[in-house]
Amino acid sequence: MTDAAAVATPPAARRGSGSVVVTGAAAASAYGRGTRALLAGVQSGVPAFAPVSRFDVSARRVGVAAAMSGSPDLRAEVTRTVGEACDDAGLSSAERARSPLFLAIHGNPAIARAPEADRPALGPEALAASVADGCGLPGEEIRCYTSACVAASTAIADAAALIARGRADRVVVAGGYLVERDQFALFDAGRVLADDGRVRPFSAGRRGLLLGDGVGALVIESQESARARRAPPLARLAGWGRSGDAYHPCQPDPEGRGMARAVTAALQRAGLAPADLGYINAHGSGTGQSDPSETGALRLALGDAAATVPVSSTKSLHGQCLEASGVLELIVTLLAARTGLLPVNAGFLGADERCQLNLVLGEGLAATPQFAMSLNAAFGGANTALVIGLP
Amino acid sequence: MTSPAFLAPHGLAALHAAAAAAGLCVASSASWPETDADGEVTPLAGFIESTFSPLIAEVAQRALRRRDQHSTPGTVTAIVLITALGDVTSAASVAAAVDAGRRVPPLQFFQSVPNAVAGYLAARWHLTGPVVCVSGTSAGLVLAATLIDDADADEALVVRADLAVTDGEIDRAAALVVTGPDRDRPGTPRA
Repeated sequence: MTDAAAVATPPAARRGSGSVVVTGAAAASAYGRGTRALLAGVQSGVPAFAPVSRFDVSARRVGVAAAMSGSPDLRAEVTRTVGEACDDAGLSSAERARSPLFLAIHGNPAIARAPEADRPALGPEALAASVADGCGLPGEEIRCYTSACVAASTAIADAAALIARGRADRVVVAGGYLVERDQFALFDAGRVLADDGRVRPFSAGRRGLLLGDGVGALVIESQESARARRAPPLARLAGWGRSGDAYHPCQPDPEGRGMARAVTAALQRAGLAPADLGYINAHGSGTGQSDPSETGALRLALGDAAATVPVSSTKSLHGQCLEASGVLELIVTLLAARTGLLPVNAGFLGADERCQLNLVLGEGLAATPQFAMSLNAAFGGANTALVIGLP
Repeated sequence: MTSPAFLAPHGLAALHAAAAAAGLCVASSASWPETDADGEVTPLAGFIESTFSPLIAEVAQRALRRRDQHSTPGTVTAIVLITALGDVTSAASVAAAVDAGRRVPPLQFFQSVPNAVAGYLAARWHLTGPVVCVSGTSAGLVLAATLIDDADADEALVVRADLAVTDGEIDRAAALVVTGPDRDRPGTPRA
């Protein structure tokens, strides 16, 4: 099936009438701290993967990840990044105090090693409360998202939905994951890590994913709120969509029907046609099953436009950042669109007939898309699609 | 030690209160344990060592079975899982294996995030709405209301599950199937 109308069976996505904008962004990744380092890294086209030195990987099949140097502390990195996003947005202390934090985060590895009675104090909400306190954000209305690789993108969609309906003026959305030994061991045991040390999304010969450090934060607010404080928007958060595959606990629907519904809903909310998209930052995990599924989703949802809109997965550069993926990749999407150079889909060896998309290959593509989409998928068949529009 | 008979209704009461505060109607509900017969939760194929996922599956399926008479074909159901600490039993098992230099069982990878059991429920019950995991009861119900308001789903299966943290506590879980105040159905126009 390639007919976009074939997936338009769910009820039309609704949204509040308010415009939602992004006024601040900050990030840290294997390319270094700050959005400039992230942008320069992904636009260089040079993957950040290297042998892991943060912990012992001698017993693992694979020993490569995209990690920052040393052993950064997750709480400190998230706190610093949230603070930088608030600074980027020009938020005053009073404005910060009215900006709740939505934090996408994996379970703290310390919980598993702590005495049982101490575990509640090490949960996601305790970490989020500490981050909020450190950045002058309110301790109330904190939300923690733990939905794996769609955690941050779901938080962004929730923030947008609330703001569009006038139920919030501003939300700070953040996500953080730093490569650590437990998740590394799990992914290694699951045999999903690429044993050739490269991530090759949508490519023949792809051998899996590689983990990466990622911390990102966005200040998302109503257009009225941004106008009132004369804050220039970095982008408009034009549309968002979410769906479930209802297919398998951990495998994607091979036809991509769930993700197609998320893409369709995001376009409906943005009021866009598929051909309006000028770039897609794909989920593109580089695994055998996920990439064809995502290709199918784009063909279902976009129809003929799936063959022409430029697509790349920057996981081939900064790695898979788990719960932080959605926010880090939306920041990449936003920055790349603003600067007019779309990141390359790195690691490509050759065409896979099940992944026929207009991939950005060889080097970055000079283009200034007015609208761009970021896609994410996760275990449980969870899918998200976020659409930004440049101001 | 707090009795099971107290803990489970307490969890369910908290979900009901949060649903009401979010303006949602409750189509069905369930909890664990509900009766003295709820001793050990039934294992779930493909999920090992921990009761976390089996517990969620059990209460969720109780609530889904009880709402079936109200369900309409084509209904889009979201899944919202609420847990403060997640599957600490599995996390501790993995940590112990890593620290001891032992091999981590591959099945632990597939159950390492709460989404996995949500995917099991979605596939078995054809729940095609969004899948979300959050840490707080109020946030979970507000989120469910937002999904229904915006037509991401017609209804939501909301499950709260918390494993016992210390000796003397018990695992507990509660589930609701919630709808919007006007019980929206696919295609129903709404401002």
